[in-house]
Amino acid sequence: MSTISTIAHGRIDMTALELLQYPFMQRALLAGLMLGVLLASLGVFVMLRRMACFGEGIAHASLAGIAIAVVAGLSPLPVAMIYALIIGLFIYWLERYTRLSSDAAIGILFTASMALGVVLMSFTSGYQPELLSFLFGSILSVRTLDLILIASVSAVTLFWLFKNIKQLTYMSLNEESATVSGVKTHIHVPVLYALLSVATVLGVKILGIILVSALLILPPATSRLLTASFKGYVIGSIIVAEAAIILGLISSLVFDLPSGATIVLAGSVLFLIGFVIRRKA
Amino acid sequence: MSKSSRTTTKSKKQPAVSVEHLSVAFGDIAVLDDVSFEVKQGEIAAVIGPNGSGKTTLVKAILGLVPATGKARLFGKSLDSVRDRIGYVPQRFDFDRAFPITVEEYLNMARNKKTPREQIRETLKEVGLTPAIEPMLLGSLSGGQLQRVLIAQAFLNNSKMLFLDEPSSGIDIVGEAAFYDIIKHLNEDHGTTIILVSHDIGVVSGLVDRVICVNKKLLCTGPPKTTLTERNLSKLYGKGHALYEHHKHDCPRPH
Repeated sequence: MSTISTIAHGRIDMTALELLQYPFMQRALLAGLMLGVLLASLGVFVMLRRMACFGEGIAHASLAGIAIAVVAGLSPLPVAMIYALIIGLFIYWLERYTRLSSDAAIGILFTASMALGVVLMSFTSGYQPELLSFLFGSILSVRTLDLILIASVSAVTLFWLFKNIKQLTYMSLNEESATVSGVKTHIHVPVLYALLSVATVLGVKILGIILVSALLILPPATSRLLTASFKGYVIGSIIVAEAAIILGLISSLVFDLPSGATIVLAGSVLFLIGFVIRRKA
Repeated sequence: MSKSSRTTTKSKKQPAVSVEHLSVAFGDIAVLDDVSFEVKQGEIAAVIGPNGSGKTTLVKAILGLVPATGKARLFGKSLDSVRDRIGYVPQRFDFDRAFPITVEEYLNMARNKKTPREQIRETLKEVGLTPAIEPMLLGSLSGGQLQRVLIAQAFLNNSKMLFLDEPSSGIDIVGEAAFYDIIKHLNEDHGTTIILVSHDIGVVSGLVDRVICVNKKLLCTGPPKTTLTERNLSKLYGKGHALYEHHKHDCPRPH
């Protein structure tokens, strides 16, 4: 058991407010809340453009970036972000300029990158804590530097997203009509892919490669069940993401459960509640 | 002003569409080969031809949506300088019907900065829809309602030219007649040039000023009465195709 989880485990009788006094918990909560807004906002477009596979593919592909960093002795998160950015733009290029379908392009790059990651990892000997933390997420190990990175990427992405939300939505509903009416789709689409790639890797830090796409999909999927306008949908999606992170994080500490998986389970429960409400309405 | 007199007065202006030697190929496959034609301002023109003849590709090439060689000018200018005067309704509007977006929100997204928000209601009226449709979800509309909303989206910014690709697909026969009335209204009362892609020669012959017959190459163009001859239709669709007129009756659309 890691030191951090031992601390959390040792304070199992603490209230959530008492836990918040610990700097690691403050950083974890802050990182989670920022990523919740970021991924839920991007998730709206992931759902609208039917590109749920994209987040999954990028997350898995980032393993190669993490492996490169581990082998080269670099910090994994920035290297994985750069690697994911390249892969995201490559997927865009393959979709546009070859006859490959989107899911085939994602499938090829995701499996090739995973394979590269596994091969590279085989060159390092012994226990790989970095690898495990990226596979399953480790929100409690977020450092101040990670927080600065998450805050910077979130600020840039959300500024761009909400500044162009009208064009992005119009483009996502019908790209050809939007292009004809002057929306710069040849810029907006690759930028969306690039930002989505980088944000997904940031999400890997808290939820892990295996679960990160849940935060892109569950909040907008839940919000869609309960809202009747686009504005409500976006706001609802962010609220669901934040609720899942707070509930999941606190539950994981109180019951000594893996944080990433507990956040996803909390999101799944919220989806289930939304589903039941929708069925009864 | 009657349509014929308006067309005459506008005939000296730049053509609404001027296409010269337009060719499109996807890899080694030629989809359009050296197509040239003009559409005058204020006209309704129909691009006709059998399935796979390149009708949709022709419209997309004019609108810069597929790479093409040759020249296409709109109102005598390049596409980029007249984008704010062009509206387009694609053949397929394939969106997630469970997506929560209202008609008003959708049209607001299509609205440019020069167009006031009140124009949304006015445009909906132009296509025969009441304000009651504004808060409705886009995914809950019937085929006919959705098609009208899409026309409203294309016309919203006071477009001077509309490109409509198979605009009546997914509409029943009664709705189709009403739909073509809207197209006539936009053309006759607002002077909007309309280029529509259609496979329905019967409808087209009674509605449009010009047909553009395409089957990879341009096979014929001109007014339907003189262009849709048995010889041209045979060239376009194969032998045995002709347009027959029959006595007037109560069918909701020409055929």
